[in-house]
Amino acid sequence: MFKPSTASSALRAIPSSSRVSIGARSFHASSRAALATPSETKPEQTKEFKIYRWNPDTPSEKPKLQSYKVDLSQCGPMMLDALIKIKNELDPTLTFRRSCREGICGSCAMNIDGVNTLACLCRIDKDVKKPSKVYPLPHMYIVKDLVPDLTLFYKQYKSIEPFLKNDNPPAQGEFLQTQEDRKKLDGMYECILCACCSTSCPSYWWNQDQYLGPAVLMQAYRWMADSRDSYGAERKEKMQNTMSLYRCHTIFNCSRTCPKGLNPALAIAKMKLEMATE
Amino acid sequence: MSTSLVRQSLFRAVAKPSMLRASAPGLMLAQRRFASTQNMTPAESISYLNAQRQHRPNSPHAQIYQPQITWILSIANRVTGVALSGALYAGALAYLLHPVFPIIDSAHLVSLVADLPTWVKGGLKFLFAVPFTFHTFNGIRHLGWDIGKGLTIKGVYATGYTVMAATAISSIYLAFFV
Amino acid sequence: MSLIRPTASSSTFRAIGLGLGGRGLHTSRALAIRASTPRRDATVAADETGGFKYIPGGPILKGTVNDATPQIEASRSHGSYHWAFERVLSAALVPVTVGAAVSSGSAYPILDGILAVSLIVHSHIGFDSCRVDYLHPRKFPVIGPIVSWALKIATGLSVWGVYEFNTNDVGLTELVRRLWTA
Repeated sequence: MFKPSTASSALRAIPSSSRVSIGARSFHASSRAALATPSETKPEQTKEFKIYRWNPDTPSEKPKLQSYKVDLSQCGPMMLDALIKIKNELDPTLTFRRSCREGICGSCAMNIDGVNTLACLCRIDKDVKKPSKVYPLPHMYIVKDLVPDLTLFYKQYKSIEPFLKNDNPPAQGEFLQTQEDRKKLDGMYECILCACCSTSCPSYWWNQDQYLGPAVLMQAYRWMADSRDSYGAERKEKMQNTMSLYRCHTIFNCSRTCPKGLNPALAIAKMKLEMATE
Repeated sequence: MSTSLVRQSLFRAVAKPSMLRASAPGLMLAQRRFASTQNMTPAESISYLNAQRQHRPNSPHAQIYQPQITWILSIANRVTGVALSGALYAGALAYLLHPVFPIIDSAHLVSLVADLPTWVKGGLKFLFAVPFTFHTFNGIRHLGWDIGKGLTIKGVYATGYTVMAATAISSIYLAFFV
Repeated sequence: MSLIRPTASSSTFRAIGLGLGGRGLHTSRALAIRASTPRRDATVAADETGGFKYIPGGPILKGTVNDATPQIEASRSHGSYHWAFERVLSAALVPVTVGAAVSSGSAYPILDGILAVSLIVHSHIGFDSCRVDYLHPRKFPVIGPIVSWALKIATGLSVWGVYEFNTNDVGLTELVRRLWTA
């Protein structure tokens, strides 16, 4: 019954142990680097990648899809490997953010085959007949190619005061928390702020200047739910308006697309229910 | 013995940058920047950034996003709601004209529909039953989420398919068997 | 060194340039190498755009990258009360609709009236949600308020219309029943 996209389902179907073992190879995106595996042994598998391009130096030129052909037998398994290979060998002007290549920095968030995800966690679809399309995160202003301007996203994150606020710190030692209270933060503190969820949300597309979006709202709730924070009521009061929180219509694109498997929609639903019943 | 001494001193050199600089002045040279930089005030940087921002294109969104049960059912909920509410508003507003046009009343409307061929009647009923049943079932699904039930991706997909099946069965029943 | 200039917006989100000096966070490397005369007025208003026209949702942003987005004025009647009312009304519509379907509208005129008015209020909230999503006055300063008022007027007239229909004609439930069996 549950049938997610081919790209992300392929990834999720793989147990994390095997992902780790493959990860070691994905460093080597270029054929020259993969000296241990002679190229003759593998049949050529050329796949087309269509990548969104826009250059700020020629702003009047409309954004376009540029086509690149990559031999998958000479490329790592992940989309990021293909992008790095293209940048190394085909077109050094291709611009994208990347850092950790293991899904913890959130830099390489982009829209791959219609789904927002991290390029480093997204397997290349092995079907070579179907070209893969790579766009930047949807409905964002583009700095260059696959690099969106995330300034507003960070400014919104700042607005929810993502830090512990408590006027009565313990007289000595640290804040203590029961295991049950600590458990409430699981599934929220792991967010890496890659903005995949927020930019998958139609409400965020239409009203991102005022609606905070799933990522920021989940972090807002992460501090409301923290037993060590004493500003929960004030934090909730900030959400009491039409735009900040209540543009969420429980569409669930956010949880559907989260590359870390988190559930922002759940956090937002809890926030709404608490605000209505308290 | 001697190797461990070397390693120790190396460690110290790395751990204490001041020592490193003192012992290797050449490294300091390498740190010098040859491009001249000048500070900007925040006001200037806002202006400079916004001058760049005003040219930035908006990335494609709805037209490239993969069709998924999540947002397809959500927009369907809105479209069906607007269609049904629109019909209700249109009917209510039209009846306000009843004193001017006595033909706008239930008896005329019912006789108008009664004269239609059976298959048209069934089709019209189906056309009304689909949005009504879908919006009702999906509304119940939403109310479940609002009280905290089924808020997982698995739950979203299971209830989504259930709503679609229930819509199909109940609309066919309402349109052709009632 | 740097001073805090009071801003029109709330004091919580005042731009504090302490220690920022001329070294704001740059998203572009070009910024750092651009020659300019450094002025030492390090503090800027959080809603400053550097002379560019701010369009809500547009690419121009207000304030430095270190200014948080401003707080929207709190109002529970637009927040949790509105949300809770919407849910309670929607949940109540389920038994009311079922009750109207199994009974006859002419036998239970009160139930019929409650159904009709609840449906219109439910519709109004739904239409209004669409209006806020797609035609908010901050983005559509002309058409936004027009749609807002048109919706309010249409809702008021519709309540009047169903009142007339339910009192002078057969009523909503009975109309649907007759149309369905016509």
